[in-house]
Amino acid sequence: MTALRAHGRWIAFAIPIAVIGAFLLSWEIAAGAGWLRPILFPPPSKLARTLLELVADGFPEGVTLGSHFAITIERILIGYAGALALAIPLGLVIGWFPLLDRATSGVVAFCRSIATLSLLPVAIVWFGTGEASKIFLIGYGCFWVMLSNVVAAVRLVDPLLLRAARTMDASRVDLFTRVALPAALPRIFAGARVALGVGFMVIVGAEMIGTIRGLGALIMEARTFYRSDVTMVGMAVLGVIGFVIAGGLQRVEHWLMPWQGRASEPDA
Amino acid sequence: MIRRALIDRMPAWIGAIAFLALWELAARFVWRDAQVLPSPTQALAVAWQHLTARELAVHVGTSLARILIGFAFAAIVGIALGVAAGWYRALGMLLRPVVDLLRPIPPLAWIPIAIVWFGLGEGSKWFVIFLGAFFPIFTNAYRGMLSIPPVLLRAARTLDVDGIELLVKVALPAALPDIVTGLRVGFSLAFGILVAAELIAADRGMGYLVMQSRQIGELGVAVFGILLIGIVSLLSDAALATALQRVARRGQAQP
Repeated sequence: MTALRAHGRWIAFAIPIAVIGAFLLSWEIAAGAGWLRPILFPPPSKLARTLLELVADGFPEGVTLGSHFAITIERILIGYAGALALAIPLGLVIGWFPLLDRATSGVVAFCRSIATLSLLPVAIVWFGTGEASKIFLIGYGCFWVMLSNVVAAVRLVDPLLLRAARTMDASRVDLFTRVALPAALPRIFAGARVALGVGFMVIVGAEMIGTIRGLGALIMEARTFYRSDVTMVGMAVLGVIGFVIAGGLQRVEHWLMPWQGRASEPDA
Repeated sequence: MIRRALIDRMPAWIGAIAFLALWELAARFVWRDAQVLPSPTQALAVAWQHLTARELAVHVGTSLARILIGFAFAAIVGIALGVAAGWYRALGMLLRPVVDLLRPIPPLAWIPIAIVWFGLGEGSKWFVIFLGAFFPIFTNAYRGMLSIPPVLLRAARTLDVDGIELLVKVALPAALPDIVTGLRVGFSLAFGILVAAELIAADRGMGYLVMQSRQIGELGVAVFGILLIGIVSLLSDAALATALQRVARRGQAQP
């Protein structure tokens, strides 16, 4: 039985590797045979060399892949941290008072539906073309997603828990800090995961304008120099970050709150 | 009944009006510079000066057409592939790794390569919107197919329902709620991506309208455009939700 299961796990691991390997191999062969134009579809072997070039020399000359990566991560983290620091306390307050929630729900829904990148001209007027405007855009994107998730987390706490605590004469403060907050925590964490994904999406757009540093700038700069290989390597690095954000945070969540069981797959 | 609904919505309306009023007052009496913080009425007035109704209709229409085309492609391909991958296990094993490999790349990161592949015209915008909407639609359709209770399929088989008939009459209706979820997530993503696509290269569309405000030096036009995008996205999302609900109800009612 265990042998069989180990066998199944081995297959579940080997098939994706084999499929991706076959995918890359046929791409390489098609490019080598001249069926795919190398400017449009640079073959994987070329991408590997580009990756080395980016790590060692950088693109543009001197700005290595490592520094692009570092500045992108730094921008995301600052904007994200700022958004969480504002959204969590505000969301807890709004969620705790039903009337306040009903009064703000329309505004929150609208601000959330505004496409973050459309704020770019406003951000430039307010914060200039430097770091601050990029961080503002990330913060904006994360903030409203986080806010609506925190509000929902508090609103969706099982009323039975609150009533049970009340019958035991819990004070209002205890009711909030010792009953509602722990019960809301899983949803708050799930919201934080979604918000980070949103911030990650926004950063790529924000970096496409007014900078040459950062992964978003790298892939855009590369296009103007007809270096689609550099663009593709940049996309691959972004994909790895996206993968780590989606998968890694889920693992952290499971480790922090083992009583929640395995979270489901992310939606997007 | 209707009165009850109105009373329930009251706080939301009061909240929205209070927000607009606060913004108006802050812009007029605290900032006092329409080039830094235009008030809602100032933004409307500026937009009225710079835009004719015709131009406005062209911007909104162009953006909506881009979204609908990209989204329609994503819906057709995403549902077809997702359902097929869930129905034929071998196909699922082939498709899943490739999708899992490409999915973590943010849709906006495809913009430069989309321009290389499809040029600066409409094609690259459709492609980027397609990509943004495709992954949630595919993933949800696939998941919906996998989570069909096997009892349902077995029961149908004992009644001699098999093959395509089993897929259309039993499996698809059972997977429909997940497919609907995927379509809605995909649609809202499509809107966020549209703006980015139009920021890079466009000569019309709502995203272009917002960016163009920098050239004419009127922040009011940008604020107007931002609010416009928000309203259009809320309205079209509501329209899609109603349409999908109707489809879902019909699907569920099927004998």
